[in-house]
Order: sequence, then structure tokens, then C-alpha cells
Amino acid sequence: MSAKFDLNDDSLVVIIGSGAGGGTLANELAQKGIRSVVLEAGKRFKMDDIENDEWKMFGKISWLDKRYVVGPARIAEDFPNLPAWIVKGVGGATMHWAGVAMRFQEHEFKMKTTNGTVPGANVLDWPVSLEEMEPYYVKAEKKMGVCGTEATGMPYHGKSSHYKVVAEGAKRIGAKCDQAKLAINTEVRDGRPPCQVNGFCMQGCRIGAKWSTMYTEIPKAEATGNVEVRPQSMVLRIEHDKTGKVTGVLYADKDGNQQLQKARIVAVAGNSIESPRMLLNSESSMFPDGLANSSGQVGQNYMTHTTGGVYAEFEKPVHMYKSTVVPGIVHEWSNNDPTRGHFAGYELEILHLGLPFMSAFLNPGKGGWGRELADSLANYGNMAGFWICGEDMAVESNNITLHATEKDQYGLPVPVVYKTDHINDTRMRNHAYDRSKELFDAVGALKVNNLPPYPASHNMGTNRMSEHARDGVVNRWGQAHDIKNLFVSDGSQFTSSGTENPTLTIVALAIRQADYIADQMKRKEI
Amino acid sequence: MNKNKKSLFSFRKSDQDVSDTPCSDRREFLSKSGKLALGASAVIVGGGLFSPNSFAAKKIGADANETLLKLARDIYPHDTLEDKYYVQVMSPMAESAEKDPELFKLLADGVKLLDNTSVEKYAVSFTQIETEQERVAVLKILEPTPFFQKIKGALMMGIYNNPEIWPLFGFGGSAWEKGGYINRGYDAVDWL
Repeated sequence: MSAKFDLNDDSLVVIIGSGAGGGTLANELAQKGIRSVVLEAGKRFKMDDIENDEWKMFGKISWLDKRYVVGPARIAEDFPNLPAWIVKGVGGATMHWAGVAMRFQEHEFKMKTTNGTVPGANVLDWPVSLEEMEPYYVKAEKKMGVCGTEATGMPYHGKSSHYKVVAEGAKRIGAKCDQAKLAINTEVRDGRPPCQVNGFCMQGCRIGAKWSTMYTEIPKAEATGNVEVRPQSMVLRIEHDKTGKVTGVLYADKDGNQQLQKARIVAVAGNSIESPRMLLNSESSMFPDGLANSSGQVGQNYMTHTTGGVYAEFEKPVHMYKSTVVPGIVHEWSNNDPTRGHFAGYELEILHLGLPFMSAFLNPGKGGWGRELADSLANYGNMAGFWICGEDMAVESNNITLHATEKDQYGLPVPVVYKTDHINDTRMRNHAYDRSKELFDAVGALKVNNLPPYPASHNMGTNRMSEHARDGVVNRWGQAHDIKNLFVSDGSQFTSSGTENPTLTIVALAIRQADYIADQMKRKEI
Repeated sequence: MNKNKKSLFSFRKSDQDVSDTPCSDRREFLSKSGKLALGASAVIVGGGLFSPNSFAAKKIGADANETLLKLARDIYPHDTLEDKYYVQVMSPMAESAEKDPELFKLLADGVKLLDNTSVEKYAVSFTQIETEQERVAVLKILEPTPFFQKIKGALMMGIYNNPEIWPLFGFGGSAWEKGGYINRGYDAVDWL
């Protein structure tokens, strides 16, 4: 049964956000008997709200509050108000994610040690190692139900036609390709059904086969009686006392009324644009640059992965839409091998879009029209393709700042997102485009289309972890260096992006963070 | 800062295109298609986008009406698609233009600019230009204008988000209610 807590109850953990980080943290704490209020900016959707319709779901669940993208990258031209493709709703981006659940590689926690200083980048080692994360990865895989892992013993999804076309191309050029480890059931598990291959993973899974906190962690947390979820609650600022400890969270409720929820601990998990934005918006005379920002790193080092798309057209049908959205991964180039001409690695994630989204992303922006594009779209049924997902370099000037004058509907300064390539990102993307073309040519492609990056679903790094307080925002537990009862629980704590999709690591970190918070509370440290 | 640029969402919101309306079952879907076909045929008589008897059609003129259809077909050219698919995207916009002077002006001025540019470049109006290649050269000049982008945005939604067209281009649409593809050929490919 869902709890109902008093605004003046100062014994609670207040968690901001209900996605992979916030939703998991709430449930992990709840299972240990620790009570929390979850403030979620978006609505609470029901399963019936989920449809197999790309644009309808885009309009329904996306975070569409005003934002600006600036900088010289093409995305600022193509999508000037949509830097990120994430969700505003209970469950957050776990509604939208494709379910890809891979662990980071060992070297990805140690990028500075591995490659030394990369000019023009702000690369740092994580204060956490793979070895330390491994038991938490196992817990995360069990919790989420990741197929193809020892943790669950659940078999992979079958090989879809889309997978087979790419796997054949990979074989012919000698590149490693395997089915994807997905947090999508292939058997009845945890009260949820197996995948029936609807092909609309990113519109929200209509049958709940894909793990989402919307219908796993959140209801489980509520069932303990230790958690109250308050949807449509937009955080305005985090309050602190004169000792510098955070004391509560001011938010606008669904009717637009301001409420102040007192707190013993605050955990920020609003994704990598909103999380630093909240800290910056909470500036005070004691913290003039925003909360937890003595390093100046809040909002900096914004990472989205080095991305792009490659879609090949064939003579005969592929019907790629008859598949889990990501059926497999070409991981030949996921290692760190600078002889390729770039540091860090990338994956070619086999991924389909429906025809409606293909028309928007094949050649996005003002110039996307005309016969060549129309011919390709008419050939949609014969397409196969990738989404390139590679590690991008932390660059300080890629950041989230607050607009000097413009305010949003809550009266908060509009976030401004600056993101452009480091030269390493450009080299990596070009390498990926070239290898993709080789792969598709090997299996008889008539035409290979390169797509530029589209709005980011992987957003990381803007409150990063660091060993030393001078280099980052939080310590190895996601605890603010400056304020010990303030935590960051989402992907914004990532020190580097890795090549892997971030959700599994966010969940593993949240499980680990819950253990730490419980321990610290018991010791009366916080 | 970028105030005049449209977000991906804004054209979605502003253009109430027909394909936006959900079809909950096959019967409803068919009845909607029927209505569209009827509406479309009424419009096509004029050889353009506005209903020939409408106030807007009279005001904008038969030539401009024809120009808009030609333009629509050049933006996303699919020779095998009948005019009605383009018309059913544009008619709602044309209808709103009858009540929305700002939109009417955008369209009327746009057509004027299109024709003036055509005359400058090829000494004939847009519809009189013979080759697609030459018309595209004119459209490239108009590409940055709000007029062109408005029509392009509406067409993108109206053509590629139209369930009637999906089967022609090889897309299956909503699948959950049919049990997905797990028993409907998700692994079928015979040419590797």
C-alpha cells in the first residue's frame, strides 16, 4: 500500500526522479525499511496509455519542456529545442529505453590511466573499479531480468531477420556480432510476460516484457508501505540550513502550488540535464555557484555517446520492424585500440526505427526532402541498420547552463545545452561509418545511408564522480563531496560514458548506493 | 536564440493532420479512409489543394492552388502515390487557412515567392517548369523559408505517418494487438 507522508516529516529520503536511478533507489531503500518520497515531474501513465505508435508516444511521454541546443554541431541546427530524447513520466527513460543491458569493460573505469591525458578532453578515472561493480551488476541483471546472462539463466531472444542480415554481413568481414543482452523477458519472470516481438520497445513496452521502473520497482516500493510517489511534482530548488546540510525540497505540485517537503537526505535523479539544473537553480548566498559545486563541475562534461546511424537498402525484404528494437550488437570495435585512430570503443547496435521516425531521422532538418530521400523511404521494407554507440570524451565545455533571461512554465531558467564533438568522437564516428559500409556491402547493399546524431537518449556526466573533490561533484558512492546528505543517483554521476548503454550501470550504482545510504543512516553519519 | 526555429514537436502539435487521429479498429479505420477519399475527390476536381468553391481557393486563385499540389509532390515525390495522399495532408492546412489570415498569408506569399523565383530562374511560373530537376533548383532556394518548412513538416507527418501508406512502403504499424511477430515471421529471411 502506498504511503502518505507529511510535508514536515524530516526523517525521509526525498528522491527526485523515478527512472532507472530514482525508481531503483526508492525500491532498494524501501526493502530495507527506509522511507522515501519520490517527486516525479511527469504524469503517471497506465499500461493502456502505451501504444505501438511512434509519434503519438513521442508526443505523450517525451520531456518536451523548453530547452536550447547550441554549438556548432548539426544537432543544434536540426533539433534546436530537443537535445535529449527522454521521458517525463513515472518510470522516466526506462519507459523509452530499448532494454540493452551490457556491463562496462574494465578499462572504461580507468580511461585516464589507460590513455593518459587526451588533449582538449577532461578525462578522469572513476573512483570505482569493475571488480567492485561486478556483484552489483549481477544484482542488477537479476532485478531487471537480463537475458543471456548467468544471473538469470534466461535464454536470448531468437534471431530476427534483421539480426540475421547484419550477422551475415559481420561474418563476411570477420567482425564479432552477437545477440543483445536485453532486460526484456524471454520467459515468464517476475510476474511479467515474455516478449512477443511487437517491435515498439522505445514507445514503452505495451505488455510489460521489458523492464521499466514504471511497473516493477515503483509498485514494489509502494507495496512496502515505505514509499509515496508524487507525480507531476516539479522541483524548484533544494533547500539547505546554515551548516550546509540539505533540509528539504521545494516543488510545484500538479496544481502549480508550491510545497516544501522536508528531508533527512535528498537524492537527485532527474537525468543529466535536469539534475545539474536543479543544483544550479538551488544557488544561495552560501553556495553562490549552485549546490555541491565547489569544483565548478556541476553541469560540465556532458556526454551523450558518440552516435550516428547507418541504414542500408537491399534488393529484397528485411522487415526489420519485426524484431526487438535491438536484436544484436556488432562489438568488434568495442575495445580501446588507439591504432584505429581513436581512443575508446564503440558498438554497432542493430536497431530499427519505424517508417514514421525513419522519415524524420534519415536526413533530419530543413534539407530532408526530395527524390533521393523519398526513394529510400519507399524502400523501408528492405532496410537494415545500426545505431552507432561509442564512448565520447568528457569535455568541460560540453555543458548544461541556465538561460540568462528566459524562464519556463515553472518560472525556472530554461536549460541551455552545448554539445559538440571532440576530434576523437569525429574520428570514431567516421571509423564506424566506414566499417558499417563494408559490412553492408559484403551482404549486397544497394545503398548505404549515413545518419547524423539525433536527440540523445544517453545523457551522462554532468555531476561526475571523482576521487578528489576538486575534479568532480560526487564521491564513489554518488554522495556530494560538499554536502554529505545530498546524493546523485542517475547517469549524471558517470565519470566516463563507456561504450555501453548506461541503464544497467545506473541500476547497479543505485543498488550499491542504497547499501551505502542504509549503512550511513545506521551509523548516524547522515 | 533560435526563437523562430521549430522543434520536432511544434510541427507535430500545430498540424492537425488526419493521420494523427487514432483508428481503434478496422471498421473505424475503413470509415475514416472512406471519408478522406470523399473529401479528397472533392478537392481534386480543382486540380489543387483548396476546395474549388472555397473562399480561400477563390482568393488564392486556381493557379496558386495547383502550384501547392505540385510543390507537395516535389517535396516527397512518390510517382506511384495518387494525388489524394498529398491532398489529404494539405486540405486540413488549406481549411485552417480559410479562417487563419496569418496562415493564408504564409501560403499565398509563399506561392508568390515560388513563382517569382521560378520566373527569375527559368522565365516561367513554377508549374510551367518542365523538369523536376529545375523545379528542385527553385525549391532549394525556398528551402529555408517558413512557408517551405511548414509544408514539408506537414507532408512528412501526413505521408510517412499515414497507416494507409505503410503497407506500400513495407511497414507493419501497431502489432501488440495481433500478438506481435513472434508467431508471424519475425525470423523469416530467405535471401542470405
